[in-house]
Amino acid sequence: MTEPLVSSDMEIEDLVLKFPKSVRFLTRNGIRCIRCGEPLWCTLGELLEEENVEDPQALIHKLNNFLREQERKR
Amino acid sequence: MKSILKELKLKDGNIGACAGPDDWYEDPKARAADSINPTSGDPIAKVIQTTEKTYDQVLETAAKAFKTWRMTPAPKRGLIIRDLREAVQEKKEVLGDLVTLEMGKIRPEGHGEVQEMIDICDFALGLSRQLYGLTMHSERPAHRMYEQWHPLGAVGVVTAFNFPVAVWSWNAAIAAACGDTTVWKPSSDTPLTAIAVQHIANQVMGDHGLKGIFNLVVGRGSVVGDRMINDSRLPLISFTGSTRMGRRVSEAVARRFGRTILELGGNNAIIVTEDADLEMAVRTILFGAVGTAGQRCTSTRRIIMHKSIASELTNRILRAYQQVRIGDPLEDGVLMGPLVTESAVEDMVAALEKAQEQGGEILKGGKRLPDLGERFVEPTIVKMPRQTEIVHIETFAPILYLMEYDDFEEAIRMHNEVPQGLSSSVFTTDLLKSEKFLSHEGSDCGIANVNIGTSGAEIGGAFGGEKETGGGRESGSDAWKAYMRRQTNTINWSKELPLAQGIKFGE
Repeated sequence: MTEPLVSSDMEIEDLVLKFPKSVRFLTRNGIRCIRCGEPLWCTLGELLEEENVEDPQALIHKLNNFLREQERKR
Repeated sequence: MKSILKELKLKDGNIGACAGPDDWYEDPKARAADSINPTSGDPIAKVIQTTEKTYDQVLETAAKAFKTWRMTPAPKRGLIIRDLREAVQEKKEVLGDLVTLEMGKIRPEGHGEVQEMIDICDFALGLSRQLYGLTMHSERPAHRMYEQWHPLGAVGVVTAFNFPVAVWSWNAAIAAACGDTTVWKPSSDTPLTAIAVQHIANQVMGDHGLKGIFNLVVGRGSVVGDRMINDSRLPLISFTGSTRMGRRVSEAVARRFGRTILELGGNNAIIVTEDADLEMAVRTILFGAVGTAGQRCTSTRRIIMHKSIASELTNRILRAYQQVRIGDPLEDGVLMGPLVTESAVEDMVAALEKAQEQGGEILKGGKRLPDLGERFVEPTIVKMPRQTEIVHIETFAPILYLMEYDDFEEAIRMHNEVPQGLSSSVFTTDLLKSEKFLSHEGSDCGIANVNIGTSGAEIGGAFGGEKETGGGRESGSDAWKAYMRRQTNTINWSKELPLAQGIKFGE
């Protein structure tokens, strides 16, 4: 099994620094993690909970797939 | 680049926690983070992050310094601010260059930001002799009532990347005049600028045998920022950032009955009426929308234009955008530099996708400029059929939405429809329209202008906005009152003891 690139306990500050493309993926899914050009002070899991995402783990799984796909394209 | 760093006492590795010239605090457990040049994407230098231990060291020094600073007469405090002004003036050019290097705004804007530091120091020096309280006539004979303003304590200042030095100075200079100390958490994207400012402040503190007046804690929001907002040693938190984060700050500080000054998101519009001077309007719109690559809280994001002039104004704006030279912000003639991070670029791209889904038509721009670097984008003009969901959201990027209106009432309604309420403007030669815009039923923003744009505020006025912008005021006018505590005093100089409201109680 492939090690996930991101997980729910990852700080948003780390997420956007290491994987800027995640910003676009999350926005497409109705989640904004960059505001006023600055990342939010919380973990990905906390953000998804605050945004009432029904199945956070499923979204994180999709995000990992998306990021892997982006890495393959590079 | 090396000469800029050297002149500002910056090294390859820099400590991020400081309370004075001999009080740089280092924790062997601390991790280091790179500061990145947004133009090249290359690291500039490293900054050792503040840890729990070094945070506490800074806070202890700041709290201790407050006890003596508050008893220093305000006009004497003003003289130290005057020295800070002189020290900043001496480094104006190089500090402005560092702002450009680390944040990406063009050189004239970087230098202008440092000028703003100088201006607010001038203001604070004058203020130090004008911390006035009122005297009231007592309802009781031979009694005197008055109010006085006391220093508050150590003030937490959290600033954003887009004004990496000016917003600190708005807070630190005013707080210092008021007898407060400040603990500053700068943006993680602009830590070197903050350390350079700390060196300048240290020089001034050192000259006066002081420490702990101006303090620095560089670190993550989720580490240092969260600690600050929950720290009861900081009775006031001045926070500049997003509405989302402002809500979190506000809730945390309110839980401990602390105070906040919130300067949050904006979604600033210019209404252009049918009788407006379009030449002036276009120049203003260009600066407001493209200046600082659309990364000001007060950037112009929406144009609400009368349908009779919409076509002509649109064409003029499009022509004006053609003159925008994009490139290295340190180069002369460049009008727009990069966005601050790659994630900011992604945020812009995502917003443009949404705008198109919602019926928007990109009239100009909309593309990345990879030949210039990962963080360069074209300034973008989007014609919107109406004020859709994406237009209600602040995207921190050079996106300008164009919309039309039929009558002025509709224009004001559209203007006020968004949740933010920072800055606003009307371009008109009609006195009645300008007065209506400034009236109780006009703009609902903290800043409302006529025939000048939404961005580029002077320090003399109170800066801030309403609704989701947070309601805080910084900088000039009477914003200083937020940095002090008001005390009402009643003195009885009679030999009687009359009670208020004529109440008789016992003999």
